[in-house]
Amino acid sequence: MLITSEDIEKIIITIQNHSPYDFSGYSIKSFTRRIEKATFDFKLSIDEIIKKIKTDEIFTEKLAKGITVNTTELFRDPKVWHTLRYRVLNKFSENRRINIWHAGSSTGQEVYSMLILLNEMGLLEKANVFASDINTDVLEVAKKGVYNYRFNMEYFDNFNKVIRENPFNYDDYLDVPYSKYFNIEKEKDTISIKDFLKRKVVWLKHDLVNQSNIFDTKFDLILCRNVLIYFNNELQEKVIETFYNSLFRKGVLIIGIHESIIGLMANKFNKSGFVYTKKE
Amino acid sequence: MDYKYIIIGGSAGSFQTVTNILSALPQNYKIPIFLCLHRLKHIRAGFVEALSIKSNIKVVEPDDKEFIRQGKAYLAPANYHMYFELGNFIALSTEPVVNHSRPAIDISFASAAYAFKSKLVGIILSGANKDGAYGLSQVKENGGLTIVQDPKECQVKTMTEAAINATDVDYVYSSEKIIEFLIKINKNI
Repeated sequence: MLITSEDIEKIIITIQNHSPYDFSGYSIKSFTRRIEKATFDFKLSIDEIIKKIKTDEIFTEKLAKGITVNTTELFRDPKVWHTLRYRVLNKFSENRRINIWHAGSSTGQEVYSMLILLNEMGLLEKANVFASDINTDVLEVAKKGVYNYRFNMEYFDNFNKVIRENPFNYDDYLDVPYSKYFNIEKEKDTISIKDFLKRKVVWLKHDLVNQSNIFDTKFDLILCRNVLIYFNNELQEKVIETFYNSLFRKGVLIIGIHESIIGLMANKFNKSGFVYTKKE
Repeated sequence: MDYKYIIIGGSAGSFQTVTNILSALPQNYKIPIFLCLHRLKHIRAGFVEALSIKSNIKVVEPDDKEFIRQGKAYLAPANYHMYFELGNFIALSTEPVVNHSRPAIDISFASAAYAFKSKLVGIILSGANKDGAYGLSQVKENGGLTIVQDPKECQVKTMTEAAINATDVDYVYSSEKIIEFLIKINKNI
């Protein structure tokens, strides 16, 4: 089905008028692909989708959830976690508290990766961990902390690289058992996160598009990986400004390894790879 | 004949061909080249370095919304789909795997076809699945030029044969002929 830019504009405006969601700052290309997918998933034409947005609140909620992309894994991109371990979190070790916000936390794997790393570094007690997503379905999955075992073998490869191996010295191998953090039940095909980690997180619904910091605190570290790629430049700038205002002095923002901050906000951070440190 | 963009897709058995192409092109090769290559899931790092060793042109993994420049080869980063936006930008996405792949060749080719129309050359190399067949058909449909590596020469024929079956391709070339052709079209820029 061919979707025109007029169709897309109509859908965005209709959603704005009939729901709390605003997709006008999303990158048009990816938004169009998500709508295209929705026409298949719901078996509806564009006109039918528009009609339903006006009358069916539950449908609109489902549609909005389908528009956001949810991809995450435990210790995704081990080099990011090496950087966090040896260049970022180590600097916070003398802090009385370490406040962390995972923005766009999806199904929670990144959050639990962080908790595991903090625990290995002896920093878990000091950490206050907040996680947010626009999609309440993925937040529910995140809270449960139960993931498929079979299709996620790379979780363990990543775990080994980040937790067991020392990237600076390959002879140095720490045999941290998986059972320290997970209950693995192969016959049920599940990996479950242990309770002592799950208890540490505050999960909240939050929409980066139209909400600023709702947490009543500032942060030492904000992670927002592979979320900005779905936004246009203006919305990216606005969201980065929210993060900037939410960081303590010298606080750190981590974005995806193939994302970069462009425009005026770039001057407000010192950049080193994907690590952005708030200037004083 | 005025081609401004080249996109190459490949999977199993394509690494050597891509290396040969990149090492045969002259240092001042202007036309930007997009590489959408499957790789083993656990080999995520080091690919761009491996391709760079013998390449005369700069090979990079682009950032999201990176402006496309002449004289560069852009390798789709591991675990991202690579798209092309009107206005000469690359866009990345972590949407679900397509054809068991991320990056998926179909996605990059179809997106390039739509963005670059008749200015695009699409090339499918050796590979073990059918990813790319749909994408190459889109290149053709949007007026671009379609080339498939001669299956006889491929380590694994599945990808090239699927592409030839799906589209009335313009040329079936050996890798040597592909290189010759790429050098020839650069002279017209």
